[in-house]
Order: sequence, then C-alpha cells, then structure tokens
Amino acid sequence: MQNHNRRKMVEIQGVVKFFGTLKALDNVSLDVYDGEKVVIIGPSGSGKSTLLRSINKLEEVNAGSIVVDGFEIHDPKVNINKVREEVGMVFQQFNVFPHKTVLQNLTLAQVVVRKRSKEESEKIAQGLLKKVGILEKAHEYPTKLSGGQQQRVAIARALAMQPKLMLFDEPTSALDPEMIGEVLDVMVNLAKEGMTMIVVTHEMGFAREVADRVIFMDEGRILEEGSPEHFFKNPTHERTQQFMRQIL
Amino acid sequence: MAEITKTPKDKEKKKVSIEVGDGAAIPSKEDRGLFTAWRVAFFGAIGIVIYLAVFKPDPYLDIMKFVPDGILVTFEVTVLSILLALVIGLFTGLGRISKNPIINGIASLYVEVIRGIPLLVQLFYIYFALGRIIQMPPLPSAIMAMGICYGAYMGEIFRAGIQSIPKGQAEAARSLGMSSGQSMYHVILPQAFKTILPPVGNEFVALLKDSSLVSILAVADLLRRGREFAAESFTYFETYTVVALVYLIITLFLSKLISIMEEKIGAES
Ligand SMILES: Nc1ncnc2c1ncn2[C@@H]1O[C@H](COP(=O)(O)OP(=O)(O)OP(=O)(O)O)[C@@H](O)[C@H]1O
Ligand SMILES: [Mg+2]
Repeated sequence: MQNHNRRKMVEIQGVVKFFGTLKALDNVSLDVYDGEKVVIIGPSGSGKSTLLRSINKLEEVNAGSIVVDGFEIHDPKVNINKVREEVGMVFQQFNVFPHKTVLQNLTLAQVVVRKRSKEESEKIAQGLLKKVGILEKAHEYPTKLSGGQQQRVAIARALAMQPKLMLFDEPTSALDPEMIGEVLDVMVNLAKEGMTMIVVTHEMGFAREVADRVIFMDEGRILEEGSPEHFFKNPTHERTQQFMRQIL
Repeated sequence: MAEITKTPKDKEKKKVSIEVGDGAAIPSKEDRGLFTAWRVAFFGAIGIVIYLAVFKPDPYLDIMKFVPDGILVTFEVTVLSILLALVIGLFTGLGRISKNPIINGIASLYVEVIRGIPLLVQLFYIYFALGRIIQMPPLPSAIMAMGICYGAYMGEIFRAGIQSIPKGQAEAARSLGMSSGQSMYHVILPQAFKTILPPVGNEFVALLKDSSLVSILAVADLLRRGREFAAESFTYFETYTVVALVYLIITLFLSKLISIMEEKIGAES
C-alpha cells in the first residue's frame, strides 16, 4: 500500500539522540505518508519511545531533521505548540488528568488551545466519548475508571483536537489482558477512518490487521522494515528472527 | 519551617511526605496521643482564661479588655504577609524548576540568602537599614519583611509540590499543544495544590507566631499591646500569661482547622 505520490506527514532524516553518553537514536531516517499506519517494534531500550517522542519534540534530538506536516520542528521560527495541535499522542501510562472529569479531559485543550467555545467542545467531546464507548462516564473522574477506560479517554482526548497524525507509545502494555481488546478496537476503527498513525506496540495481531509497514528497531537503529507478513514469514536479520520468536 | 522530602518509593505515585518541624503539631486521628494533647491544651487554655476572668478580674479582665485590639493587627500582619509570601513563593518555586540558568540562579540565590538570615535581622534590615534610603511606615515594612522571608520557604513548598506531579501530566498537556504556562496553570498547579495546602497551612501558623517579632517595629500587635499594658501597670506576669494563652488558643485553633481541611482533601481523592 506504499504510495510515494502521497504527501509526507513525517520526514525523519539522520536523527541522532544521546542520553549522556548513551546513543538512544543512531542515524534514524523514516518517512510516514498521509494516511499510512506504521507499527514500530523492537526490544526494550531499542529507542522506540525516544523516536516517537522526538516527533512531537518531547525529546529534543542532537542531530538530524524532523519535518512534521511540512514544518521542520527544530526551526526556531516554527511554533512547536502549533505543530503539536496537529499531532495527538497516547501514552503507555494514559496520563489522563485526574483533577478533571472525563468530559473536561476532552474539552480542556479544545478551549485553551483550539479556542473553541465550551458548547462546541462539549459537543465534539460527547461525540468522541460515544465513539470510544464511554459516554456514560462523561461526568466521572478518570481515577474511578478501569485502565482500559482511562486509555480510551486518553485516545478521545487526543482526537478531540482533530489531529492529522496520532502517535501511540505502547498503549496497551500497562493494561490487564482483558482490557487490551477494547483499546485495540478503538485504534482499529481509527485506522479504518484513514488516520495517519505511528504505533509502538507488540500486538502483532493489531499490526497484521492495520499496519501498512512494520519497522523493527534495535540499538537505536532501524534494522528492518516491511509488511506485517514479511515479519511473520521470513524476517531477514537474525536479531529480528530472535525477537519475533520471543513475542509470538 | 515545614520541610518537604520526597521518598522515591513508587515511580508512578511519587508520595510526598511532609515533615513538620515548626508550628503547632497538627493533630490527626491516627495520632491518638497528640489528639488528646491538643484537647488538653486547647480546652485547658480556654478554661484558664475563663477562670482568670471570672475569679481574678483585677487585673486579668482589664488585660483581656486591652490586649485583643492587638489580635486584629496580628491577623492583619499574618494574612497580608502570607499572601505576599504565596505570590513570591509561586514565582520562586517556578524559578527553582526553570531550565533557564539565570532565572534558576536568581531564585536559588534568593532562597539561600533569605534562609540564612534570621527573620529578626531581616525585619531590622528592611525597617532601619533600608529605611535610610526609602522611609516606610512600620506596618508595610513588617509585612514586606515577613513576606519576603516566608516567600523563600513557600518557594520550596511550591517547588516540591510541582515536582510531586508525575512528568507524564505535563507531557500529556504539552502534547495537546498547550504552552508550558497553560500546562502549569491548567494541569500541574491544580494538582499540586493538594500537596501544597497542608504545608502552607503550617507556614501560616508559624508566621502567625513569628509575627510577634514585628512588635519591635512599634506595630501594635498582640504582643505589643501586652508590652504596653504591662509597662504601665507593672503586671508583667499577668499580662504575658494572657498574651501567651491567647497565642496558644489561636494557633491550636488554626492547627485544628488545617487538619480538618487536610482530612477533607484526603477524603476527596
Ligand atoms: N530520559 C532519559 N534519560 C536517560 N536515558 C534514557 C532516557 N529515556 C530513555 N533513555 C534510554 O534510552 C534508550 C532508549 O530508550 P527508549 O525508551 O526509547 O526505548 P524503548 O525502545 O521505548 O524501550 P521500551 O520497550 O522499554 O519502552 C534506553 O537505553 C533508555 O534507558
Ligand atoms: Mg518505550
């Protein structure tokens, strides 16, 4: 499904990131096209989160360039907050706002950042809560919800900004097994609607269902990339084969 | 003053424990001994005041008529100073966590310097030393000195409170496009408030007690009123007994109020 005539949503080139002396990203380049779904896999510490977090500048890289939606995010003239408005992020630990109700979690940034009216943002919020199946919890505080419900709130909160790109960093790995499905369902539906998605996950079933491309990272580098089928059937590198045996 | 120490027990739920080193001990239900100690002290003090007023009206009733004017001044100094300290404390706390080395440096320097100079010396400095340059009346001088002094401690409370909120909260806010100021205002500070409130309450009680120092600058607070009465009537023992009892009743009452507030907040979350 790779179509190189499509617009590039993300262009990462020669990115290097150090934590002290540790090279977390080692000359990484990756293009993600409009509407494309990319799944990133790889062993712990291979730099998956760091790569994802550099796309919305939660991590600042030491070298290379990252262009998101046409903006080079390290250009001092580019307002990173404007770029982030268009890039939703979902975290492993949900990071819902515990002092706000579910509805307020979804309206806060709409009002403060997007400058929408309270009524309009609540309407959008309710629509999204219905979509992720927790409309009846709109007025609860998120701490009262299960992990799966909290993560769906977090996804809806990001979607309320109507982003062009969604980043997911292991969205199901902090969940009890019985709740993984409800979160993945939401993500599959989102993919079907055409959202551009970059997803760090080891849920290979999800990758097989939605991924246009799977990227395998190892020691800060992209070691191998291809279709989900390629990774299931005949991964090239020994490291990849090893890793696939572990997670399948 | 209150000191906040972080125990990095659990990564996600960083628990902040606050050790109270000053101010009347805050009674809690778990601490049975202290709880009854509070009762004995509070109701004992009130009982003694009533006893003295009824059975020894001369001179106690006269003292009790003269001194309370000072209570209002004491509260005025305390409330205005704490408000000033809160404003200074917020900016100091933000400065202390700032990545800008200049802002951070200034905030840290302020905290170090202020904490190293006794409050009484600061009072003298602002009223008498700076008074040579800009003359200020005693009350504003006193409030300024107390506010600046407690602002440094308040800054540390704000810093610890802000840092007690998991990093993911700010990251989530920023990833939604909020500026660092918006994230601080809408996401971090409202959550830090719960951690900050009890030690701020402690500072309030401590400041109320320290406010007795301003009597030196001829501010007619509780202690000053007592001094004036005693000097005229030579009833030093009786007057200072009343002054001490009044301070005790006020601080015990406030400590109780804080502990109730704390319990309410704890029950909410
Ligand atoms: N803030 C940080 N400070 C120092 N080192 C860090 C920091 N964040 C990540 N690292 C290190 O950078 C490397 C890459 O980390 P990263 O979190 O990107 O890995 P990952 O592939 O997401 O791993 P995991 O599957 O465990 O989430 C690791 O060695 C990690 O210890
Ligand atoms: Mg990770």
